[in-house]
Amino acid sequence: MTSPSAADVVILGGGLSKFAAERPDGTPIDWIVEATQAALADAGVELVTIEHSIVAYESEIIARQLTMGQVVQDALGLCPKPSVRVEAGGGTGGAALRTAFAYVRAGLCESMLVVGADAVGRQVPSTTVRQVYAMSGDVDFEMAAGGFFTAYYALMMQEHMRRYGTREEQMALVSVKNHRNARSNPMACMPLALTVDDVLKSPPVAAPYKRLDCAVLADGAAALVIATPRWAREHARAWRDRARIYYTGSGCGTDRMRLGDRPGPYPGLAHFRAKREAAAMAYAMAGVTDPRREIDVAEVADPYTGVELQSYEDLGFCGYGESGLLTERGVFDLGGELPTNTSGGLIGQGAPPGAMGLAQAVEIVRQLRGECPRERQVPGARRGLTDIHGGTASFAVVSVFERRD
Amino acid sequence: MSTTGDRPLDAGRVGAKLRELTAVDPLGRGGQEDPWREFRRVEIIDLQLSFRFRHSLGKYSRFFLDLEQRRLMATRCPRCGTVWMPPRPACGNDLTVTEWVELPGRGTLAAATECAYTLTTGGGAGHLVLGYVALEGASTLLLQQIRNYGDARRLTPGLPMRVAWADARVEHPMELFWFEPAR
Repeated sequence: MTSPSAADVVILGGGLSKFAAERPDGTPIDWIVEATQAALADAGVELVTIEHSIVAYESEIIARQLTMGQVVQDALGLCPKPSVRVEAGGGTGGAALRTAFAYVRAGLCESMLVVGADAVGRQVPSTTVRQVYAMSGDVDFEMAAGGFFTAYYALMMQEHMRRYGTREEQMALVSVKNHRNARSNPMACMPLALTVDDVLKSPPVAAPYKRLDCAVLADGAAALVIATPRWAREHARAWRDRARIYYTGSGCGTDRMRLGDRPGPYPGLAHFRAKREAAAMAYAMAGVTDPRREIDVAEVADPYTGVELQSYEDLGFCGYGESGLLTERGVFDLGGELPTNTSGGLIGQGAPPGAMGLAQAVEIVRQLRGECPRERQVPGARRGLTDIHGGTASFAVVSVFERRD
Repeated sequence: MSTTGDRPLDAGRVGAKLRELTAVDPLGRGGQEDPWREFRRVEIIDLQLSFRFRHSLGKYSRFFLDLEQRRLMATRCPRCGTVWMPPRPACGNDLTVTEWVELPGRGTLAAATECAYTLTTGGGAGHLVLGYVALEGASTLLLQQIRNYGDARRLTPGLPMRVAWADARVEHPMELFWFEPAR
């Protein structure tokens, strides 16, 4: 998959704009500016030296703005340099990461500012946002039958529970963990101290999912500075002063849009074939053969609690049907064998689609540098992973990052 | 987000104005430490975006038109034999042009979920059950509403299902049918 002459890719820094259920103090473009300022400061890079940008956002309809990539390029003062917009539903941030990786690796540029945002908090009613997001799948048959994404994910989990005996209490533990991790993240939207009982007693949405099993649509933005080591040596103060984070593996996979069209028994309704494909590709590139032991910290897609469990399995963190039991044993908690969603994930940190996949990478960079608050720092973390997808994982991107001193 | 400085609205000469407020720095920096302190006065206005489509159902149209005749039409690939339901005009495996076949309207439940609401179907229905049904003769699963099931705990995989047809006029053709337990 890789050319021997391909350039190494490094993450020089990242930043977020506060994720919140409502940000009346700005627009997505304002938040991108905030996140970019934070990312540039973190990287120790001057904006004027950046060669290229990628702008990630999911919906023109909700943004009430077409060509936001160009508008952002203008707002950031990057004209007349090149820029490209990417979109892949909930996987938009992942698509942006992978695109940046490809551009830098292929030599189209040596430095890239990657930004992503969406305003899906309360500026637009959540009922409207969810109707628009239902258009991310089959519009003429499934949406017209009353289908929506919480229901699709619920159907997947029903099958997972039937096949493996996965229980709602195990799913609730994911909610408890991610809301708890968010408590040490000042950028997070939903820092909460919850019990399993709180989750189980929250209002039903689509069985088995209840309100506290679901990520919160949020306002927010994220930004990353990505480059070659050669460019970094010349332009980035962080290259000299900080731990160096290499982007060592990128994988992408796809699956059929409708769950009912996916072949069985694998993936059937219960599994994410696109994610397994993406993970295999990223692991091969990064030289990972035993992910549960070789990955120290991971940000895993968690739009719903069960999705995090399903994802563990297709990422190879455990065998099929084992995710619930390992979650009960604390394997994925801070202090466990493979801590996941230390930022709080989509459930605890919040879920603006264009920013999510980039925010995951911001968290992993901080973890690998050892710069997270003590409460959520994974001691000695050297290799991290991000996993994000769109649709019911009809598109998935997995990325691997490593600290090299 | 919390705000300060909200005040009863006098929209004055601006009809779309909903609110004026002074936004709080979401990161809690106060005074001179807030880099955006000169930009915290916020106006919120009312905007609406609506579309009406003249939407063609294209090569899928026969499925929807035949529902009015109480026929469930799938498509079969003459090359690989896959029977697509929902139908596809070109096979999703090999792009061969497919042919229409009628299915008997019987099958088994593959999975179901009881939803507190939906946002995407006629009238914004409240409580409903959505399920994937494996129809006899089809290679794929069809998502549709499940009705007349009695106790939802009956809705387990393998339950025999049959199609049922709407007598009343409906808004969207997918509302012309649903599935219900066969016994």
